Amino acid sequence: MIRLGVDVGGTFTDLVLTLEESDQSWVHKVPSTPLDPSEAVINGVTEICEMAGIEPSEIEQFFHGTTVATNIVLEHNGADVGMITTEGFRDILHIARHKRPYNFSLYQDLPWQKYPLVRRRNRLVVPERILATGEILTPLDEEETRRQVRKLKEAKVSSIAVCFLYSFKNPKHEDRVKEIIQEEYPEAYLSISNEVLPQYREYERFSTVALNAYIGPKTSRYIQRLEEVLKKMGLKTSINLMQSNGGIATAQVAAEKPISLLLSGPVAGLIGGIKAAKKANFDNIITLDIGGTSADIGVAPNGNMRMRHLLDTRIGQYNAMVPMVDIDTIGAGGGSIAYVDEGGIFRVGPQSAGADPGPACYDRGGTVPTSTDANVLLGRIHPQSRLAGSMQIKPELSKKAFDEHIASKLQITPLEAAAGALKIMTHNMVNAIEMNSVRKGYDPRGFTLVAAGGAGPLFACDIAEELNIPYVVVPPYPGITAAMGLLSTDIAYEKVHTLWGSLTNPDIASIQNVIKKLEKESLKTLTDDGLSEAQIVLKRVCDCRYAGQGYELRVDAPEGEINEEWIREVIKRFHQTHEREYASQFPDQEVVAINVRVIGIGLVQPEKEQSFLDQGKDDFNVNNYPSYPVYFWVQDKLEKQDSTFINREDIPIGTKLLGPAVIQQKDSTTLIPPSCTATFDEYGNIVIDMKKKLSTKRSKEVLASLTK
Amino acid sequence: MTDNKGYENIDPVTLGVIAGSFNSIAKEMALVLYRMAYSSIIRESEDLGAGLFDIDGNEICESDSTPMHIGSLPGYIDGVRHFLGDNMNDGDIILHNNPYYGASHTPDLAIIIPIFYEGKLVAFAANTGHVLDAGGMSPGLMVDVVDVYAEGKHYNAIKLYNKGEKNEEIWRHIFENVRTPKENKGDVEAMIASAKLGKKRYLELIERYSLQTVLAAQKRWMDYSEEMIRKEIAKIPDGVYKAPTGWLDDDGRNYGQRLRIETSVIVNGSDLTVDLSGSSGQVETAYNVPFSGSTLPATYTIVRSILLDEASSEVFIPQNSGIFKPIKVEAPLGSIWNPKAPAACTARINQVQRLADQINLALSEVLPDKTTAGNAAHVHFNSYAGIKEESGDYWVYIEVNEGSYGGRYGKDGLDSVDNLVANTRNNPIEELEMRLPMRCNRYELREEGASAGKWRGGIGIVRTWEFITDSLFTGEGDRHTDPPRGVFGGKNGLTGSMTLNPDTDGEQNLHAKLTNYKIRKGDLLEIRTPCAGGYGNPFERDPQAVLEDILDDFITKEKAKEDYRVVIRDDLTIDEEATKQLRQGLEVLKS
Repeated sequence: MIRLGVDVGGTFTDLVLTLEESDQSWVHKVPSTPLDPSEAVINGVTEICEMAGIEPSEIEQFFHGTTVATNIVLEHNGADVGMITTEGFRDILHIARHKRPYNFSLYQDLPWQKYPLVRRRNRLVVPERILATGEILTPLDEEETRRQVRKLKEAKVSSIAVCFLYSFKNPKHEDRVKEIIQEEYPEAYLSISNEVLPQYREYERFSTVALNAYIGPKTSRYIQRLEEVLKKMGLKTSINLMQSNGGIATAQVAAEKPISLLLSGPVAGLIGGIKAAKKANFDNIITLDIGGTSADIGVAPNGNMRMRHLLDTRIGQYNAMVPMVDIDTIGAGGGSIAYVDEGGIFRVGPQSAGADPGPACYDRGGTVPTSTDANVLLGRIHPQSRLAGSMQIKPELSKKAFDEHIASKLQITPLEAAAGALKIMTHNMVNAIEMNSVRKGYDPRGFTLVAAGGAGPLFACDIAEELNIPYVVVPPYPGITAAMGLLSTDIAYEKVHTLWGSLTNPDIASIQNVIKKLEKESLKTLTDDGLSEAQIVLKRVCDCRYAGQGYELRVDAPEGEINEEWIREVIKRFHQTHEREYASQFPDQEVVAINVRVIGIGLVQPEKEQSFLDQGKDDFNVNNYPSYPVYFWVQDKLEKQDSTFINREDIPIGTKLLGPAVIQQKDSTTLIPPSCTATFDEYGNIVIDMKKKLSTKRSKEVLASLTK
Repeated sequence: MTDNKGYENIDPVTLGVIAGSFNSIAKEMALVLYRMAYSSIIRESEDLGAGLFDIDGNEICESDSTPMHIGSLPGYIDGVRHFLGDNMNDGDIILHNNPYYGASHTPDLAIIIPIFYEGKLVAFAANTGHVLDAGGMSPGLMVDVVDVYAEGKHYNAIKLYNKGEKNEEIWRHIFENVRTPKENKGDVEAMIASAKLGKKRYLELIERYSLQTVLAAQKRWMDYSEEMIRKEIAKIPDGVYKAPTGWLDDDGRNYGQRLRIETSVIVNGSDLTVDLSGSSGQVETAYNVPFSGSTLPATYTIVRSILLDEASSEVFIPQNSGIFKPIKVEAPLGSIWNPKAPAACTARINQVQRLADQINLALSEVLPDKTTAGNAAHVHFNSYAGIKEESGDYWVYIEVNEGSYGGRYGKDGLDSVDNLVANTRNNPIEELEMRLPMRCNRYELREEGASAGKWRGGIGIVRTWEFITDSLFTGEGDRHTDPPRGVFGGKNGLTGSMTLNPDTDGEQNLHAKLTNYKIRKGDLLEIRTPCAGGYGNPFERDPQAVLEDILDDFITKEKAKEDYRVVIRDDLTIDEEATKQLRQGLEVLKS
């Protein structure tokens, strides 16, 4: 089988091609082409096929991760959207949840008012009203609907969102409006609330459905165009796209519901990280992907991605109530700027020098000190040991930047300033990992940290030390983990229905009905995608809460017959989840299932894994590599130690290295501090054992960590 | 500033690290509280606050939930100190809500946990939350009550747990004496879980960095915030800045008798004093403002919002006691801003909103690019209640109706959003109707549109409820008589209103404040919240912006001509020539 993964990022488009039969793989990077992202895809595919000596027509599976949908939202350049909604509720999108983003600000903007997904002039109402019970209070005025649709056509909107109250209880009116639009304005892209998201909470639903309409035309055009040009190149297989829920979707499903593509890129990165760690035999995984401006953090207990809390799923400032993997992004990257603020406080980021002008040491006009400059000053990035083709760096410029902007203001040395900047960044990331993931009841001492991105492997061991994480894994190509992740994913569709039924006093028949209906729909979607029964797995999830609470928690529900025992098991699991999330449970309280979900999974991953057994030089000898001084934290003190700088591709599988050492490769640098041992495994991973290093931490600190 | 502050030895890196922890601890505490809570006023509206405090009650950090709670907890801790003195032990969990001993108002319960380290009190973890019912004379809210005792039960530093042991009797007593026992109990459990988490996290910090370092870091951060706000105060020329007299509608009993508000802001170097003398004396209903729990936090919030606007600031400046230090309030005892016990004082949100707006208006001339035109500066804070037929239990719903912001220098005002010192969330209609005998028929922007200005005022909302059963209604509102002010030539805004059965024969205008008003099955209640004032001369508004507002029905074509002197043709394009003439004609008239 020949499989290709293509991940389009902001700066680079990354590709991975694997030939299972011959156990070979190629990786490639081409510059992204933001104006028409498909250009970079074509270039990349052409080049990687040449590298591998195959024709595009031989590719059997094509997986694609894209930021197209996300960028439309962040750059505010989506479609002109029209909306048909219930009379009396024209401004649900304008009022939102009436809470402003900042407490202490008179000059803030409300993003949903400043950049409305649907301008008010295009939000039109029609008489109709469905009650909370699903009964019809006011029948749909079809004539008025027709008039309003014509108005939207005249206004030349390119897509229409249809959002009525309680359509998740009774979709009849929305369905009828859909028919009328198809008669009056068949060219319009449609986003119907009961189809996109049959779930309660009107603002969040309307916002999601409008967002889907906003990104719909462009995203589906992009997918279509990409398919066309790839076909012209000879590609025979259809393309599959990465979704925010961690599964992939076929092009057709993705074009109908582009809202599910919003976190495409970071999710693939998380999956790639999980896969690398799993191959190295670790189950509990934290992934850290540090790029130029930001760091993505994900946590996967038992190798399973966690889903974000439903009301926290947003893109930019817009709510998008769709299942998203819980990935946290913070403003910490190689370009993050260090500075001293007006009140004398030492800070790093979130402002970034970006690629242009970049860090001071690049000598391209940047004069402020960045995270990369700090690594240069500490010797972790060395001018003499750079790889062929990489940029010439000037450490004296890094020093000057830290001296002028930090050291002189705080009366410390430039070296202390640089070390301090890295420590602040490390702590910001440690905090984010703790706050968003580990504090959900997962003990970091049982986890493994996977480091990805250009800068991830530079920070990983310092972060692992802070969190008492015993192992760090650096995948073979840390810079293209997302593309790798694309090849490790199965098809997954999540279908949801608002049930709002008690589990303590359950109406078992209605729960059965809803789950059966969702399972049937899931089966159909997956068989339509061409999957055989043996490839299909259905999972159930209940969003539960105690009666009277306002927020649900996701609970994995068991397979098998839905009976009293099944219900009891769901209740039990809910109590446990509540205990883990909030450190308390109320066993005598009534439990309600608000939403029921079915996740249909289509298994498409191959069994076989690529091997790196023949990597490295036969005559590899550490002593042949140069040593330079590098600064490390040793028992909370900065210490200079001579470290060997080695090219990663030279290192054979099975090699063990004791730190201090610096492993260099094309787009990433791995730092192995003193007392840490790095092993190069057969899957191409660097596995760093931190245990000895952790045992030398101050005893008090270890005591503290034991009480965590 | 050369004396020893005790934190010279902390390195700048550790300082930053500990600050990050403070911030995330407060956030995490709030998250647990609202995600676990039962009553919608806490879980949907997020009418809550949570944070850490030093042993003197100084605020170390607090959650970014709703500002009225932020800064009120130091007062609660003072109150607890008053009742308990040093009688606090490891494992105590304390409940407090007395407005004459620091509480924001009676229904805002606080849970306070003293944190001990090596046998010594080192800090407090605490939070506040608005409960649905505090066991007073009527369910939910109330205005026309005789005294503070009628507002609800007061828990004067009551220990729910004593040295870790639960006081079962007091729990029974507390929850058997409110109308919504299940919700209140769930809320208090959530508050306890949140405060316990704060305690745990604070102790972890001490274990990690040592007590001395943590204490020094928190002091450094308070000094930092104080320094940052002092710098901004010092930029304002010394002097007395007076707002135009403002008027509250009435006290909720003596309808027609308006209440005066006088506000001066006195700047002296880096100190700022708000002088409220000349304002109305305390009133005979609950329409008074607890001084330390409400007057002070509202003042801190608005002064910080003007001087250290979060959205325009590059760095995160923590909200802690340092911000409060340079800000003082003068309000004579016995005035509406500082009532004498046992005057009732639970209905205070409208006054503190107006107080914030008055301070904003007072500074308008001297800080034209940091202040706004007059804001809605009110809340139609309503409660609806009844008895459930099946169970005989009470249902209570407390609703925060949002306001709008005045026009700003270079920017229009914000529409339909919670205003100034309130920042709650609305309840989903689809959530309310599933559990309450009420039906929402309308929830939209007011069709009368925006008030004119070079930068227009924000638009308020109209909401109509239909009642499915007989219900009890309490309205705690204002601003039916004195509209938000326009500034620098901008037009005044629109007042709010409440109407029973609008557009029917039985149409009836309601006062903003009503206590236990009986609503019959089938009745309609329409609430309109104020539209804020405009900023600057409307004739200077960009005609294109005027046209866009017409296209979005934010204003009418007629208003465009009348208020803005912009002429729009029938095909909805700007008649540049006619507009120019109309606008010039005005210049001629002026000269």
